[in-house]
Amino acid sequence: MIRSKILQFDSGDGTPAGWLLLLLLLLYSLPLDTIAKEAVSRGLPSAAVLNPAAELWRDVRQRDQPTTGSTQVRGVDSGVLINAYGDRWRKFRMQQLIPIGGYMLMGIVVVLAVFYLVRGKVPIEGGESDRKLPRYSTYERMIHWFIASIFLFLAITGLILLFGRPVLIPMLGKETFSILASACKEGHNLMGPLFLLALILVFIKFVRRNIYQKGDLSWLLRGGGIIGPKHVPSNFFNMGEKTMFWMLVLVGSLIVVSGLVLVFPLFGQGREWMELAHVGHAIGALLMIGVIIGHIYIGTIGMEGAIEGMKTGYCDLNWAKEHHDLWASRAEARGEALSNEAVGQLRDLDPLPSSLGARTQEAGK
Amino acid sequence: MIGQFIDGPLWTFSLAVFLIGVIWRIVAILMAGNRPDLATPKGSAGAGALRALFSRFLPERTVATHGRLQLIAGYLFHLGLLALLFFAQPHIDFIADRITGLSWPAMPHWAFIVAAELAFAGLILLWLYRILNPVTRLLSDLDDHIGTILVFLVMLTGCLALAQAFEPLRLIHLLLAELLLIYFPFSKLMHAFTFIMSRGYTGATMGRKGVNA
Repeated sequence: MIRSKILQFDSGDGTPAGWLLLLLLLLYSLPLDTIAKEAVSRGLPSAAVLNPAAELWRDVRQRDQPTTGSTQVRGVDSGVLINAYGDRWRKFRMQQLIPIGGYMLMGIVVVLAVFYLVRGKVPIEGGESDRKLPRYSTYERMIHWFIASIFLFLAITGLILLFGRPVLIPMLGKETFSILASACKEGHNLMGPLFLLALILVFIKFVRRNIYQKGDLSWLLRGGGIIGPKHVPSNFFNMGEKTMFWMLVLVGSLIVVSGLVLVFPLFGQGREWMELAHVGHAIGALLMIGVIIGHIYIGTIGMEGAIEGMKTGYCDLNWAKEHHDLWASRAEARGEALSNEAVGQLRDLDPLPSSLGARTQEAGK
Repeated sequence: MIGQFIDGPLWTFSLAVFLIGVIWRIVAILMAGNRPDLATPKGSAGAGALRALFSRFLPERTVATHGRLQLIAGYLFHLGLLALLFFAQPHIDFIADRITGLSWPAMPHWAFIVAAELAFAGLILLWLYRILNPVTRLLSDLDDHIGTILVFLVMLTGCLALAQAFEPLRLIHLLLAELLLIYFPFSKLMHAFTFIMSRGYTGATMGRKGVNA
């Protein structure tokens, strides 16, 4: 009420607004605190003394929607005196998002560490074979590592921006952290749109082999074979990999869209949209970082032979039979298995000639 | 102290190494001369050189189909880098202040962002192709990787310093740019200048023989 009156005071010669401003300044200069204390000491109710500034902001905050006043300043939200949602967003970020997100990521690392201590590195039970199967073409590996490098850069810079204040400032000091934060912000904003490009390339190339099919559910119901001693039949990609792909596509899209809303405030999005975008961006990113930590764990220390396909283009035949046997048996029946010596020679050439690549993709279906 | 060194003597030294090194390399190539061709010319060497110089910007059909990604990534990187180097406002200001005293219009901020995105995408994809494709991996040596990494780091630190609010970020970018300038004349990065001579030489030789190549 008071706020809208202030905003409507625009007489042109500035006289009414000037009087009101003078009145406000006089009210500010009054020794209200002393008066209130004196009133309390006399046993009078302190509520009788009103602070006009506090009343004004309380009045503004208690509105359901931030109403827009009239102002000559042009711009999104320029007529909003105070956005009550901003404080809610700030509290959510500081009191929930940062601590819960931090504990979640630490929890994932701890769980994986415990799992590794209990289970160890999953070996190729039959030992390394003397034959290999072509698994990924150069182009497929290229776009995998493209999105991987962009994701890692964005994850690291994003985590520094999110957790920097509670974690890094005590270690680096405010001045050094401010330099690091500025660099991370610029780098994060600049590399962000590249994630969209990488996501599109990955989607186009891998979507066909990631469509759910018969046998995927049984893989899931049997825990992917990680928990028990027996391996579970699987296609070119198993249910876990397919789910990760669709999470990358869907959650990745959320991260991209919300990121673009944050980086390019050109389309009339106000603070509320930005706050919403920030919450979606942070939650989606934390979720994906957690999933990718698991992906990296399996690819590196968690499973023998898992990363070989993405490194060289070829995978061990025994590994393929143990983890993707439906695909491996079909590929072997088509005569795609090659001796290690032949692979050594072929690695001088493209690992998947176009005809073989097409057959492999078809087999992945 | 170290900031003054990077901003002063090291900048002068690196620029001198770059200029002298590039001139020395180009003069050395030109001084090598041509083997005398005693055959009767069947066409114009000059026209052949010019034709090759410009026609090579258009890819040959097999390259355009089988190497489409490398082709697109190559153009993205080179054009993006060129735009960043010569049309970014901070670079124009730096060149005007430190080298030429001349200034020219800069591209708008949005164009800078687009150019940087394209250049980064192109460079990362090209480098991944270099290390993942068996043929290009075998053809690549340490020089290729050092050149790529240096260019990448110069671009990255430049973008990290985009806010232009912190002197250390600008100095890191300048230091890496200086290392690149020093490395440039002794590396394959010289192709930024020598491509004119190599194309011209091939085109002139073929043009003289009357071959449309």
